[in-house]
Amino acid sequence: MKKNLTQRIGQSKGRYLFLLFFLLCSSWAMAQTVSGLVRSGSDNQPLAGATITIKGTTKSTAADVNGHYSIAAAQGATLVFKSIGFVSLELKVGSGSTLNATLTEENKNLNEVVVIGYGTQKKANTSGAVSIMKNENLDERAITRVDQALVGQLAGVDVKQTSGLPGKAFSIQIRGTGSISAGNEPLYVIDGFPLTNNSSNTSNGSFANGNPLDNINPNDIETIEVLKDAAAAAIYGSRASNGVVLITTKHGTTGKPKISFNTYVGYNQSSKHLDMLNGDQWIARATEWINSNYVLAYGTSKGATANDNAATRQANLGLSGSQVNSLYMLDPRWAIPGHPGLEFVDWQNVTQRKGLMENAEISASGGTDAIKYFISGNYANQDGFLIGVGYQAYTARANVEINASKKLKFGVNIAPTYSITKDPGVDGKDNIYQQSLYTTPVQEDTVGLYPNFGKNAPYTWGQTNVNAPLGKLQNLVGTTKRYRTLGTLYGEYEIIKGLSFRSTLNLDNTDENRNTYVPYIATGANAAARTFSGANNLTGANSGTYNSFRHQNFVNENTLTYNTSIHSDHSLSFLVGQSYNYDHFDRVTLNSSTGFTSAVIQTLNAAAAVTGNTTATQSVLISYLGRVQYGYKDKYLLSASVRSDGSSRFGANNQYALFPAGSVAWRVTQESFMSKVPTISDLKLRFSYGITGNNNIGDYSSIATLGSGNQYVFGTTQAAVIGAAPNVLANPDLKWEKSATYDGGIDFGILNNRITGSFDYYNRLSTQLLLNVQVPEVTGFQTYLNNVGSVRDVGQELELTTRNLVGKLQWTTTLNIAHNTNNVVSLAPGQTQIIIPNGLEVSDQILRVGYAQNSIYVLKEVGFLTAADIANHAATYGPAGAEQVGDPKFEDTNGDGVITEADKQILGHPNPNYIFGVTNSFRYKGFDLSIMVQGQQGGQIYSQLGRAISRPGQGFPDNEPESFANRWISPTQQGEGRFGKTFSTYNSPIGAFSEWIYSSDYIRVKDITLGYNLKSLIKTPVIQGARIYVTLENFFGADKYTNGLNPEAANTSVGSNSAYPEAGDYGGLPLAKSLIFGLNFTF
Amino acid sequence: MVVASSCNKDLNQIPISTATTATFYQQPSDFIQGINSAYGALRGYPNNLIQLGEYRSDNIYGVSVSGRDWDPINDFSTGLAPNVYVEGAWNGYFSGIFKANTVLDQIAENGSLAGSASLATRLQAEAKFLRAFYYFELVKNYGGVPLITKPVVASTAIGIPRSSVSDVYALIISDLQFAVANLPANYSGAFPNYTATDVGRATKYAAEGELAEVYMARSGPAYGVQGPGMGLSEWNLAMPLLQDIISNGGFVFNPNYASIFSYANTNPTVNKEAVFDVMYVGGNLGLGASFVWLDLPQNYFSSLGTNTVANGTLEPIPVSPNFVSSYEAGDLRKAATVLTTGYTFAGNTETRPFFKKYVDITKIPTTNSGDWAINYIAIRYTDILMRKAECILNGASGGTQTDVDAIVNQVRTRAGLAPRVNVTLAQLFDERRREFADEGPRWYDLQRSGNLITIMNAWIAVDDTQHRISTVVPNFVIYPVPQTQLDGAPGLYTQNPGY
Repeated sequence: MKKNLTQRIGQSKGRYLFLLFFLLCSSWAMAQTVSGLVRSGSDNQPLAGATITIKGTTKSTAADVNGHYSIAAAQGATLVFKSIGFVSLELKVGSGSTLNATLTEENKNLNEVVVIGYGTQKKANTSGAVSIMKNENLDERAITRVDQALVGQLAGVDVKQTSGLPGKAFSIQIRGTGSISAGNEPLYVIDGFPLTNNSSNTSNGSFANGNPLDNINPNDIETIEVLKDAAAAAIYGSRASNGVVLITTKHGTTGKPKISFNTYVGYNQSSKHLDMLNGDQWIARATEWINSNYVLAYGTSKGATANDNAATRQANLGLSGSQVNSLYMLDPRWAIPGHPGLEFVDWQNVTQRKGLMENAEISASGGTDAIKYFISGNYANQDGFLIGVGYQAYTARANVEINASKKLKFGVNIAPTYSITKDPGVDGKDNIYQQSLYTTPVQEDTVGLYPNFGKNAPYTWGQTNVNAPLGKLQNLVGTTKRYRTLGTLYGEYEIIKGLSFRSTLNLDNTDENRNTYVPYIATGANAAARTFSGANNLTGANSGTYNSFRHQNFVNENTLTYNTSIHSDHSLSFLVGQSYNYDHFDRVTLNSSTGFTSAVIQTLNAAAAVTGNTTATQSVLISYLGRVQYGYKDKYLLSASVRSDGSSRFGANNQYALFPAGSVAWRVTQESFMSKVPTISDLKLRFSYGITGNNNIGDYSSIATLGSGNQYVFGTTQAAVIGAAPNVLANPDLKWEKSATYDGGIDFGILNNRITGSFDYYNRLSTQLLLNVQVPEVTGFQTYLNNVGSVRDVGQELELTTRNLVGKLQWTTTLNIAHNTNNVVSLAPGQTQIIIPNGLEVSDQILRVGYAQNSIYVLKEVGFLTAADIANHAATYGPAGAEQVGDPKFEDTNGDGVITEADKQILGHPNPNYIFGVTNSFRYKGFDLSIMVQGQQGGQIYSQLGRAISRPGQGFPDNEPESFANRWISPTQQGEGRFGKTFSTYNSPIGAFSEWIYSSDYIRVKDITLGYNLKSLIKTPVIQGARIYVTLENFFGADKYTNGLNPEAANTSVGSNSAYPEAGDYGGLPLAKSLIFGLNFTF
Repeated sequence: MVVASSCNKDLNQIPISTATTATFYQQPSDFIQGINSAYGALRGYPNNLIQLGEYRSDNIYGVSVSGRDWDPINDFSTGLAPNVYVEGAWNGYFSGIFKANTVLDQIAENGSLAGSASLATRLQAEAKFLRAFYYFELVKNYGGVPLITKPVVASTAIGIPRSSVSDVYALIISDLQFAVANLPANYSGAFPNYTATDVGRATKYAAEGELAEVYMARSGPAYGVQGPGMGLSEWNLAMPLLQDIISNGGFVFNPNYASIFSYANTNPTVNKEAVFDVMYVGGNLGLGASFVWLDLPQNYFSSLGTNTVANGTLEPIPVSPNFVSSYEAGDLRKAATVLTTGYTFAGNTETRPFFKKYVDITKIPTTNSGDWAINYIAIRYTDILMRKAECILNGASGGTQTDVDAIVNQVRTRAGLAPRVNVTLAQLFDERRREFADEGPRWYDLQRSGNLITIMNAWIAVDDTQHRISTVVPNFVIYPVPQTQLDGAPGLYTQNPGY
């Protein structure tokens, strides 16, 4: 504090001396002292730091914190007022000594400089489709991941939050999906460093090889730009088909040090509770089920009726004494008021909590002519809303740039990070969260929350195969520790004016390990296996794993750029470059499922028998690139680029491919005739065409590798022998997926840029898809990876910003909406469809020419069977006679009188037709408020979860959704039409019905942030900025996924063939909603 | 440019943790592993035989209630091309041929690394035996098929059409002749000959037995289709091969029929009936057998109370009434082959008879239905003997009607039946039907006998009480080319007539 004050005094002295100097020097020119106030036109606030220059001279001064300035200037001289973000203003010095200046804010969109691949450009002069998000949208919110920040922000960028697990990566698709097998995630480039694409990540929504955005601190981000069309993205060639996300981190600027301290604290909890049958409802259903089963089994043979008492049932069952059979007999306590001895449990409530969220960050930035720096350190902690789940991250960053001479500068960006994720296995099929939905809600009160756990037996009428979800959350261990360092070293040398050479060395190193531990008390099949009874028992029932990988991605890029202009009308820019990209994975897997020798040691040294192995893969990408940009009077803009990429993943004959692109733009408003149309302040027409690629396949997919699984048996005493044979059909011709994209766009500003926006139409045809196709078996294989098939994505995008109010109360609305249609255009020659092989039950998705990728392909349920239907032999599956009134009725599409696989039809597609986001922000005096709403429309979910918890004929121990109460009860009480009768023996082998299709439409108030600028309260000049805020994230919303939690959930691998990935929701966590209080300080 | 060209070498990445065909074959054990993988394709052979050879024949009347995979096989549907069994056999055998070709290719290229010329020769003989074995199965089921003698890439494969039956046979015969000349006769030699740990590998006698079968199949009538029969009358070529096995092979006629298929007798050195075995082992190594339960429904196993892992088919595949009634009174083979007692499960009593030849209810695997620990005898000594009788009855030199009667009566005596004299070909085939029931050869025996059409249609008229089976026409002698193969290379393969 004292130091700062001294500095200020020093500065004041300096200014007076400076003024004195001017007074002295300019007295001969009849100079006078001009002073005044510089203010912002929009809010009348003083513009501290605005510079005032006497035109045609180097004489200048700066406004003080209150916007005051004074300068010695001769009458008639012109003063130029400049302030960053404002249009500069020129005023003539008149006879008076006071000259106030009111600067109007410049349209940021126009003069903004944007990062393009391998360079920067004025946004006004870009001719490709680029969407931009600035850090101001990030700093004001409580966000733990960069992908989280992108939700709802940019047109055509569909950010799917596939899980409510803290710290888990999101899935991002830009302009739909163009690939079937090779992944649809974009390429991420951080400060020029292209990160490794995700590969094979769509099978279950997780990223086994890590996600490029893991551990990246969102507070370090300056801007995020998305290159959407081919012209913008093609400079990244073979990896650009799915779009390119350019992330720029914060950098220091010349000036005194700026120190920021940001912190927040709050809590998060589940945003959705799926109402299941409560205890009484469950008892009603169980009673109905058991009675039906009892009458079915003993009605004919022994005259059993639902009214039989326990003794009669025992007699019919041949039981005696206290023997019961829960399939045919009721728990007598159900009928007693208060059901003594039983406890009703809402498993979701008992396994959840309000999880603490906290974050603290400090950063410093600044610079001199010689060095500029930005350094930051961040700690984030999020306890999940599910007990035992959490995420912690420690990140640091140093971005330092040194100007060694006028021509030479070099710098280093380094970001070491460390995170710990705790997940005992909660998301997905038969995991703990799903179990918290369907676990029997009625339990013995003697065991309470721990049925079928430790020495506790399961409830006689409850599940025998589900161990207490709460006990598992408390006792199972699943910890992932990730240490990741991103580092970039670069140097730039200006050879001659306009010509500079830049070289970068980048390394992304991730060390990740995950250890799991399952103690015997938690998961044993019976009480004996879950209780300690000596060493044998202990060694039999514990298990543990330790899996780790090291991923290294090294990139060296060298570029030469030349910028020049001819007669100031023609601007030209050239780029040539070369890039080398090396990617290496080392993996270790260790596990033991045969038990531990100690109950206290959880590491594998105490495991009875550990099996493990190590594997490694690597790939190389070598690229050459070039680009020419030409502009005539900033009016006609041309850009052409080409990149040649060679990848080791491809066949020897096709390692290299060429990716050309070109674009043109016309800034109509630069034409003189447009001056007659003052309402249109900006208008630019764009058109582009280009070819981009996708190389996201396994590292050695074109080579005939040898595989296991070829064993045989020989010997007098039969014994296994190893066999070795190729497991891949070599394809030396294997090459890239190619996408050809047309994009037409218009950027506009109306009414002095009160309304700005852009509209794009695009048409992307992805061809020569990397697809596993049939091949004659004479090759030894049924399928091989080849380049066949094509998919088309066509869409429109609108981004709009309107400054509705610009006075004391400011109100800005930004809107983005995108529409995309996706179509399989062709598969292998002669092939019209591929039914996606299903690893869970039966196939429910299809690739069919003319339809959206991964269309939902199931039997259509058309109500319930009536007595008349059965009498008329309505089409059924399986042996006739098993069906009864109230069982589901299906559409027999081919009319052959039986329901088979052939009667399946396409009834939806998973990707939404529309995605949108709207942000309204308000500022009034010191207050700021922003409300962000986002959502999607037009997609469907085929819910594996729905199937799991509400299937026909489901036994009574498993709980059902509460909406099951609205099931078919009788021919006159058909319910909502989704759920059939409680008890059914009509079980389908086909089993994929429209019953489990839900609309994935949702609308969500993603974020509400209310902030107050304390600057007006804190008068000390030391603090340059101070703001407190409160944020509500995911607090309000609505969706149509009535028997599920998250319409975007992806957590379970449904497809059985990795070539046709299908991720489903089999009990994914709901999203977290959070309430956060935060503080931003800037010194 | 120097940097660029050295970098370009980096594009040729060699897998770190897996071998490739270009790098793997460096030492004798590598080549042996290669040939082992070619044997691996045998594991599906018993299943194919049962699904294509039994389900198709008059032994089984198994039309299902809800449209199972075996229905179109059993009821002579013309829409059989997409059937999984039809596809599975084609794929399995060509996969085996590819693995055998890979070994042959590697020996041709890198044979010096195999350690010794004699090992290289042995491995070539094994590879050729297996290649011929698989090609013979393909000819028996599909007629002429593409002829592939070295590994091919996809672009080559789509240019290789089906060859004629006689061209395929030419390769089969030359391969088997090489195998007869170069395979070890037994497992008592020293490496690179077979040692005790090699039991199960093809021997000279296995190759002779296979070659004899090939000649006999060619000798059967053609029925006017491009199938296995060529009407060539090569009985005299088969005869000496069979005789050599009988005279010199050291095989023994097992006097107890049931014990041939006993789990106690599955060791090939003990079970002297086995000329060539498909080998399986239990213990959850993924190397057990599943053919055992292919003729029995799940509910049968469930009725035993010990079926924890879905042994058995989804619906019953009962034995045809005609087959059951074909047993003479007192035939000991009936009880060893057919379950006639029925079973009751979940209140439903099933009385129809089922094949249960390989089932020992004390050996039901509990963790994996494909883990039965029993071998499948691919070439059985009794078959060699009865084939000798068949050759004699077809006029081959080297034997008389007395020899024929002796062979058949040896079989009948073991079955507890009275001897016959002047056994006819029809009687011989009838005896074979019961002797080899549930072992898979019935359909191919019918082909070779020349009476396939008449016998099948006569049987259908009697046993097809549900009128589910189509009339058998000559085109049904062989199966269609699988639909996946037609789809995989449109226009390349001509479909067999009638499908």
